[in-house]
Amino acid sequence: MSTAPTTARRNAQRTARRIRDYIILTVLALVFIAPIYYLIIGSFKPSQEVLAGFSGFLPTDLSFANYGSVIASLSSDSTGYFYQFMLNSFLISAAIVAGGLIVNSMAAYSFARLRWRGRDRVFVVVILLVIVPFQAVAIPLVYLLAGMRDTLFVQIIPFIANAFSIYLFYTFFLGLPTSIEEAARLDGLGPAGTFFRIVVPISRPVFATVAILTFLSSWGQFLWPSLTTSDPAVRPLPLEMSVFSGQSPVDWGSVFAFGTLLVLPILVVFLAFQRFFVQSVAGSAVKG
Amino acid sequence: MNRKRSLARTGTAILAAGLAAGALSACSQNSSAGSSQTGDGTGTINVWAHQGQDSEIAVMQAAVSSFNSSQSKIKVNLRLISSDTYTSTITNTPKDKLPDVMEMDGPTLASYVYNQKLSPLKQYVSASTVSNATDGSTAEGTYNGDLYGLAMYDSGLGLYGNKKLLDAAGVAYPKSAADAWTADQFTTAVKALASKSPAGKSLDVNESSLGNEWATYAFSPLVESAGGGLIKDNKADGTLNSSASVKALTTVQGWKPYVDSNADGNAFPNGRVALAWGGHWNYPTYSKALGSDLVALPLPNFGGGTKTDAGSWTFGISSGTKNGKAAGAFLDALLSDRNVKAMTDANGAPPATKSALAADKLYQPGGALALWGDQLNHACPATAVTPSCIAVYRPVTPGYPTITAKFAGALSAIWGGSDAKTQLDNAAKAIDQAYTDNSNYQ
Amino acid sequence: MTTTTSAHTARRTGAGPGNSRMRARRQRDGGPAMLMAAPAVLGLAAFVAVPFIVAIVLSFYDAQLNQVRTPKFFGFTQYVRLFTDPVVAGPFFRSLLNNLVFAIVVIPVQTAIALGLAILLNSKLKGIPVFRTIFFMPVVFPMALVAVIWRLILDRSGNGLLNAFTGFVTAGHFVPQDWLGSAGTALGAVILLSIWQGAGFQMVIILAGLQEIPTERFEAASLDRANAWQQFIHITLPGLRNTLIFVTLYTTIMAFQLYDQVYILIKTAGGNQTALQTVLYQGTSSLFDENNLGRAAAVTVVFFAIVLVIALVQRSLLKQRTEE
Repeated sequence: MSTAPTTARRNAQRTARRIRDYIILTVLALVFIAPIYYLIIGSFKPSQEVLAGFSGFLPTDLSFANYGSVIASLSSDSTGYFYQFMLNSFLISAAIVAGGLIVNSMAAYSFARLRWRGRDRVFVVVILLVIVPFQAVAIPLVYLLAGMRDTLFVQIIPFIANAFSIYLFYTFFLGLPTSIEEAARLDGLGPAGTFFRIVVPISRPVFATVAILTFLSSWGQFLWPSLTTSDPAVRPLPLEMSVFSGQSPVDWGSVFAFGTLLVLPILVVFLAFQRFFVQSVAGSAVKG
Repeated sequence: MNRKRSLARTGTAILAAGLAAGALSACSQNSSAGSSQTGDGTGTINVWAHQGQDSEIAVMQAAVSSFNSSQSKIKVNLRLISSDTYTSTITNTPKDKLPDVMEMDGPTLASYVYNQKLSPLKQYVSASTVSNATDGSTAEGTYNGDLYGLAMYDSGLGLYGNKKLLDAAGVAYPKSAADAWTADQFTTAVKALASKSPAGKSLDVNESSLGNEWATYAFSPLVESAGGGLIKDNKADGTLNSSASVKALTTVQGWKPYVDSNADGNAFPNGRVALAWGGHWNYPTYSKALGSDLVALPLPNFGGGTKTDAGSWTFGISSGTKNGKAAGAFLDALLSDRNVKAMTDANGAPPATKSALAADKLYQPGGALALWGDQLNHACPATAVTPSCIAVYRPVTPGYPTITAKFAGALSAIWGGSDAKTQLDNAAKAIDQAYTDNSNYQ
Repeated sequence: MTTTTSAHTARRTGAGPGNSRMRARRQRDGGPAMLMAAPAVLGLAAFVAVPFIVAIVLSFYDAQLNQVRTPKFFGFTQYVRLFTDPVVAGPFFRSLLNNLVFAIVVIPVQTAIALGLAILLNSKLKGIPVFRTIFFMPVVFPMALVAVIWRLILDRSGNGLLNAFTGFVTAGHFVPQDWLGSAGTALGAVILLSIWQGAGFQMVIILAGLQEIPTERFEAASLDRANAWQQFIHITLPGLRNTLIFVTLYTTIMAFQLYDQVYILIKTAGGNQTALQTVLYQGTSSLFDENNLGRAAAVTVVFFAIVLVIALVQRSLLKQRTEE
C-alpha cells in the first residue's frame, strides 16, 4: 500500500522513537533504583562511608560486618533474637493473610451473590469503611485492647476483617458468570458449599491479589506494634529498626543492613514470582 | 418494621455507649488496687530498661546475670526496649502489666507517680543504698516528699571542643564555668570557626533529635541562663515565652547556617566541626577519636551565668509489684559500686552514687570532664535557679511530658525557621491549658 | 486476564444482584448467607465501629491513658478548642491542610506518573519486563524503611545524595538545601518519597488496563491519521476509565493514611514539624507525648468524619460516572 520512501521514513521514525523511549525509561529506571541500590550498597559499607555524598554510592570497603553486628545486637533474652523477630513478623502476617482471605471472601460472596435482609445497607457501610485508615481508630483501640498487650493475637485480630479486601473480592465475584453456580445450586449445594467448592477454585487470581496486598501492608506494620508490644517474644521486625537508628552516633551501616534484611524476604519472593506478583496486583483493578 | 428498626438502632447505641463507659471506668476503678506488695523476697522479677548503646547493654546484662548467679532466691528477667519508644511504651502500659522494676527517663517520674504506677522505694531498698545516692539522684527521684527513683548515673552536658581546630582558628575558649562564652562571643567563635572549615560548618547540636527530649535537655539551660525558664508556679506563660526566652532561642536559630546536620554522627569526631553540643554519652567515642585534643567546655552564658542540664535515666519499683522485697534487693545490687563503675566506664556518665562518684576519675579535678563534674557540684532544681547554680534539674512535675513535648515542638519549629515569639507563646498557652485542665496535677 | 474477560461476559449477560431470575430463587439464602458475612462484619464492627463510638465518648472527657483519677466531664470543650482555640486549632488546621495538600498533589501526580510509565512500558520494546520490575520494586518496601533511606538521601548537608547530585550537576552553583527541615520543601520531600514508593503499584494496574484496550482501535485511529496525542485523548483515556477510577480511589485511601513516614522524619530526622504534621500525627502525639486521651479521641472523631464525607462524595461521583 505505502510507497517505498514512506516506509523507510516510518522505519526511521520508529527507530528514533524507540531510542527516545529507551532513554526516558533508562533515566527513570535509574531514579527508581538509586535508593534501593543505595540501601544495599550501604549495608555492606562502614557506617561513616554511607552518608558521604556520591562516595556513598561507590562499592568500596564492602564487608558483612554490619550484618554481623545486627545479628549480634539482637541475640540475647533481654534484647530478643533476630530470628525471633522475623518469625513473629511471618506469623503475624501469615495469620492476617490467611484469616483475611477466609473471612473477607466469604463476606464478599455473601454481599455479591446471596440475598438476605439488610444486605445492601450493611454493604454500603462496609464500602464507606474502605477509606478509613486503621490509624484513625488506633488510639481508642489501644485503650480498648490494653488487656491483650504483648500478644501476637492483638497484632493480628484488628486486621483480619478488612473493608478493602471485601471490596476487591466483591468486584471479582460480581464479574463471575452465574451459570456454574446456578448449576451447583440446582444440584443441591447450599450457599457455603457453592462458595467453597465452586467459586473459590475459580477465583484464584483475586485470592492471590488480596493475599499479596495484605501481606505487604502487614509486613511493614510499625505504629500498632509500637503501641501494643514491649515483649521481645512477640515484637515484629520493623519495630527493631529504631534500635539501630536511635543510637548516637547512628550506625547507618547497621540500619541499612537491618533494612535490607527486613525487605529481603519480600524482595526475593517478588523477584522469584514476579510475573505472578505483577499480574495479581494488576488483577486488583477489576472493572469497578 | 420501622419501629423494630429504630428499636434495634437504639439497642446498638446503648450497647456501644455501655461498652465505652465501661471501658472509661475500667481505667479509674483499680486505683485502690495499685498498692505494691512486699512478697517474701524470692521468685522471679521482671526488669525493664532502655536499649542504649551496645556497651551499656552489655553492662546491664552482666549486672543482671551476676545478680542471678550470686544468689538462688531471686531470678531477674531483663527486657530491653528501644530507647525511641521506651517512654511511650511505659505510658501506654497499664500498671498491672508493668514490670517489678523499671527504668525511666528522670523527668517523667512524677507523671508516673501521678498515675500511681510507682511505689515509694524506701520500704524496699536498704537504707545504705538510699543514703549513698547523690543529692542529684535523690532530687530527681523525689516527688511530694517520697523517694520513687534511684539512678546509676547522672548526666553531663556541655560543649565538646576540638583543641586543634580551635587553636588553628585562633579562637580562645573558656577554661572554667565562670569563664563561659557569652552569647555574642559564642556566635562570633562559631562564625570564625566556620570560616576556617571547608564545608563552612563549625557546630553540631544533634539537630536530628530536636523533636525529642534532647531539645529540652540541651536547650532549656540556655533559656534558664537568659533569665527565662520552662515553668514557674505551675504557669508557663510569662516564663517560657518571656522576652528572655524568646531572645535566647532566636539566637540559637541564628546558628543554623553554621551547624552541620550530622546525620552520620561523625561531624565532631571526624573533625568536620570544631564544637559539639553534647552529653556524657558522646565521651567514649569522642575521646577515642580526638585523644588529648578533646576539651570539655561549659555551654554559653546567656546572661544569668552558664547553665547546664542534669539528670538521666533512673530506676523505680512499680506499684503493681507482688515482690517488692526482691525488687529492692535487685536495686541494692544494681547500685553497687562495681555495677555503677562498669556502667559509667561504658557510657562516660558521672556516677549517681556517692561512693562511686568519689572513686571516679573522669569528673574529679584533673579528669577530662572535671569542668562538667564541677557543674554538677553547683546543682539546683528548676524551681530555684540562682546565679551561682549551674546544673539545673528539669522540673519534677506530672505535667512534664506536656512541657517537654511543647518545648521540643517549639524548638524544632524555630529551628525550621518559625518565629520564636509565636512558637513559645503557643507552647506556653498549651502547657498552661494542660495544667488548668488537670487542676495543676494536684 | 481471565478475570477481565469474564467480567465483560458477566456484564453482557446481566449477571449480579440485579438479575431478576436469580433474585427470585435467592430469597431463601437468609441464615447461611448472614453467617458467611458475619465474621467480617462483626470484625469491622468490633475494630472500626466500636473504637469510633468509644472515641466519641472519650472526646467528651478530660481523659488520660491509665488514669487513676475519675475523668472530668468536658462537654464539647475538646471540639471547641480544636476549631477555635488558636493554640490547639492552629496546629490542627495546619495538619488538615497538610493532609489536603498531600492528597491534592499526590493523587493526580502519582496517577499521571504511573500512567506515563505504563504507556512507556506498553510497547514491544526489548527489556520491558526489566523496567517493569524496577518501577514496581519500591512497592514492596515498608514505609518505615523508605523514610529512613530517603532521610539520608535528603540530608541537608552536602553529603546528602540529592544535594551532592544537584551540586554536581550545577557545578556547585546550587547550594545544599534543607529539604526536610525548611517549611517550603518538607512536604514536597515527603510527597516525593511517597510517590517513589507507590507509583509502581498504580503503574502495574494501569498497564493491565492498557493491555485490555483492543489494538484495532489504535490501528483504526492511525488509518484516520490521528496523532499520538489524539489517540491518547480519544482512545487511551476512555479505555482506561474504570481503571483510573479505581486507581484514584486507591490513591485517595493511601493519601489519607499518611503517617509512618511523617512520624519518622519528624522524630528522628529533624523534619519540619509544622510543615509535616498530619491529622493522624496530631492524634497520636496528643496521646503519646502529652497523654491527652480526650483530645486524641476528639481528633480521631473529626478525622473519621472528614474521611467519611470524602468517601460519600467519592462514592456519589463514582456512581454518576459508572451510570453514564
